[in-house]
Amino acid sequence: MSLMELIIPILASLVFAVVAPVVGCLLAGVDRILSARMQGRVGPPLLQPYYDVRKLMGKERVDVNTVQGAYVVCAFIFACLAGGIFFSGGNLLMCVFIITLSSLFLIMAAWSTRSPYAEVGAARETMQVMSYEPMVLLFAVAFYMATALILPTEGIGSFNVGAAFSLDFPVIAYIWPVFLGLLFILTIKLRKSPFDLSMSHHAHQEIVRGITTEMSGSTLALVEVLHWCENVLFLGWVSIFFVWGAWWSVLIAIVVALAVYFLEILIDNNFARVKWQFMLKSAWAVALVGGGINIAVLAFV
Amino acid sequence: MRCGTHSGTPIAVPLSHSHEVNEKGKAEMQLIATLILLPLIAAILLLIIRQNTARTIIVCAFGTLIALASVVFAGTYLAAGPVFFDFNHPLIDHACTAISGLCVVVILAFSAKYKNIWAALLAIIQIIVVMVVEFGFASQMEVEIGLYTDLLSIIMVLIIGIIGSGICIYALGYMEDFQAHQDAAARDRRPTFFALMFIFLSAMFAIVLSNNMSWMFTAWEVTTLCSFLLIGYTKTDEAIRNAFRQIIMNLAGGIAFIVALWFAITDVGTLSLIEFLQAGIANPAIVAVPITFLAFAGITKAAQMPFQTWLLGAMVAPTPTSALLHSSTMVKAGVFLLVKLAPLFLLNTIPSVMVMLVGGITFLLCSFMAISQTNAKRVLAYSTIANLGLITMCAGVGTPEAVWAAIFLIIFHAIAKSLLFLCVGTAEHHIGSRDIEDMDLLFERMPRLARFMMLGIMCMFIAPFGMLIAKWGALVSFANMDQIALILILAFGSAATFMFWAKWLGKLAGIAGQPPNVELSVHKSEWVSILLMVMLLVFACIALPAISAYLVEPYVVSAYQFAPVAFLVQDISFDNLYLASISVCIVVIALFCGLGRSKKRQVDVYLAGVSRDDDARAFQNSLSGQTVATARNWYMEDVFGEARIAPVGVVFNSVVMLCAVVLALVGITLA
Repeated sequence: MSLMELIIPILASLVFAVVAPVVGCLLAGVDRILSARMQGRVGPPLLQPYYDVRKLMGKERVDVNTVQGAYVVCAFIFACLAGGIFFSGGNLLMCVFIITLSSLFLIMAAWSTRSPYAEVGAARETMQVMSYEPMVLLFAVAFYMATALILPTEGIGSFNVGAAFSLDFPVIAYIWPVFLGLLFILTIKLRKSPFDLSMSHHAHQEIVRGITTEMSGSTLALVEVLHWCENVLFLGWVSIFFVWGAWWSVLIAIVVALAVYFLEILIDNNFARVKWQFMLKSAWAVALVGGGINIAVLAFV
Repeated sequence: MRCGTHSGTPIAVPLSHSHEVNEKGKAEMQLIATLILLPLIAAILLLIIRQNTARTIIVCAFGTLIALASVVFAGTYLAAGPVFFDFNHPLIDHACTAISGLCVVVILAFSAKYKNIWAALLAIIQIIVVMVVEFGFASQMEVEIGLYTDLLSIIMVLIIGIIGSGICIYALGYMEDFQAHQDAAARDRRPTFFALMFIFLSAMFAIVLSNNMSWMFTAWEVTTLCSFLLIGYTKTDEAIRNAFRQIIMNLAGGIAFIVALWFAITDVGTLSLIEFLQAGIANPAIVAVPITFLAFAGITKAAQMPFQTWLLGAMVAPTPTSALLHSSTMVKAGVFLLVKLAPLFLLNTIPSVMVMLVGGITFLLCSFMAISQTNAKRVLAYSTIANLGLITMCAGVGTPEAVWAAIFLIIFHAIAKSLLFLCVGTAEHHIGSRDIEDMDLLFERMPRLARFMMLGIMCMFIAPFGMLIAKWGALVSFANMDQIALILILAFGSAATFMFWAKWLGKLAGIAGQPPNVELSVHKSEWVSILLMVMLLVFACIALPAISAYLVEPYVVSAYQFAPVAFLVQDISFDNLYLASISVCIVVIALFCGLGRSKKRQVDVYLAGVSRDDDARAFQNSLSGQTVATARNWYMEDVFGEARIAPVGVVFNSVVMLCAVVLALVGITLA
């Protein structure tokens, strides 16, 4: 191993920490405009999410305990690391594990407050992680097995995102059921209705701000930025299905990612929140059918 | 090299060049002898000198000595590769037979006292088989190489020597509190307790260092007996009941072990572990039956379903016992044997499928059941069984990557679990409860302990800590072998693992947020041991790339000389391991330096009313009265309850094991 291999993902994480919030902010702005149009409203300006965050930054610094802010900072650092690993072509499993660590820190931030509302949110967020985690792991395994079939290396696959650029054709050809499964759980990861159990931006839900109930000012602003970064990373996961050796495949991938984002907004505005039982059962069923059958087929090809 | 005289198919197995018998022989023997004898001397001293102060000195001194001896041992043989000691004497063989007999006599005595017919029956069957094997066959078998050491043994020696001794020292403070809670009239049986702990360590050293499998069997039986006595230590009805459950299951495992030795003599013609392994690699079919029985023994010891109940029952024992059983001894002997046999599983379908399925189902179902537990020690127990299941699964797969993962799981599980048990034990004595829900309010004045516990929990289930890196290796090896069922089991089991650890971690996070209060009466010995585990944990997580390069990988390469090791370099490349190390540093710094530094103004939490008492979550309601908000964790009894899930695993795994044993026996008969 050379030092460079270690430095690249770290540098990439720093770049990600700057670029992803910008892209994520614009995506959030588009989300709000599209949502408003779907509800028959005009909606805020494109940069409204940025104005919101800037205003939060200027608020008085108060907190319910001395640790919450530190947890949120950790969540942000690890989200950036996960993004850096992914976009520098690093190991997909490592990326998946690190983003889970980031979610865990957010959950701990909520739990550390001992507020009943935040605790409900944290418990629900834990449930959400348990619901989507199998599908995410199967996504990484399926990517590995698909590259094993496509790469010219004869049966040796790769977990490295960068390997996608050596493919003759994109992995979607072999693992489209996994792609559909990932789309399903993406609704949970993007905190969209009907799976926005732990926190929501729809004011009519029974618990709106669950996990962020006790966060305010700069801490809340950082959570917002963290959310933007996560969205960029997850859309990156979606687009990796469509990348292959040709450079212009990246454009196709971006178009697909944006289409998926639109689909998520559409779903968000058309479904009512479900109970956790349905979320757990449906997400696990999707992982078992979409992920399980797909990798079984790959194994026996 | 002489092979068995009484063998159906005598096979001369030349020892390969790296397996040269150590010429210096006796001189180097001293270190191994020290490791095995030091704890025995400590045990004898503890039984003779029963005074409290003297006991403290003996335990501390011998604990330190044993830990130092194991470090010196590791340092001496680290670079040497596998070393074999030309050491055997009929006296030792006779002593082993005598010790086996003694174990059975003790078990029979207790069975008679508590009128337990099953334990007595199994003990009698065992002693008959032992006598037949020892005097009928084994007396003609000569194993020239009595003892050996390789890198796996070194890893185990370090785990037993350092963690095991740490737990013994911790027990000093714990047992003082424990004794204070007992009747004043009750006899102080602590000398027996500590003596048993040290005998346990001695037996464990013997298991991981014996090349003569009949010596190994004797040590195996000693650990069974020690844990029987330790579980029944309190002599309550429940303790006695659970101790007998343990002894019945492990006697069954012991019988399987001795039957395996029988087949090893008749089919393979050797009792030497290394020759057995080499014969198995050269001709996999002849070891199919013995390794099926050895796997059975390993599975009972590692408390895999359907035998999981003995480890759950063992929770009635004082916490240091649980810590010892779960982390460095007993169950680790089971998985040590399975990992040792892993290369043979790669070549033998029937035992391999049995071990994979039993381990996999245990991992999945026990992870589910852990979600529904409120008792902290039961959560720990289920998590231990689940992780042992994962190790068993890896051993069953038997590829070099899977063995790499299994060894790391053993290392990190040992450290993290002992830390967690010690923390729960200390918490229990200060809040008077093991219930996670009680940890909320009562435990809040121990923020330092809460953070240690959080670190231990994080190591158990989340990247970048060791256990998850090992799971990662397991996942890669399953993917390479196209083991679809195991991949699915790992994916769903890990999700459940996240759930039950994260909600416990959340409870603790609330405590770590409180202002520190030094109003603590934790014994110094307890802090010392807990700190030792914390430092070991942080060290092992950060030094993971080095441990992999200098200990685990060389072992895997030497164990798989017959198969080219296309290694993890490409799948878990080293930059990822270093990235994980860096992430560990960030988390540790955040946990111990970053928390509690905020200078922001403090306000009350939002309670939909005017807050009256933030700690109690009391607020003023709309009628100006006081209402207390309550929130509990999710346990989802109706989805993940024991009553629903346990029978499935017990039935499934029993059928799998029965089929495997029958098929293996049929196979040998047909051949």
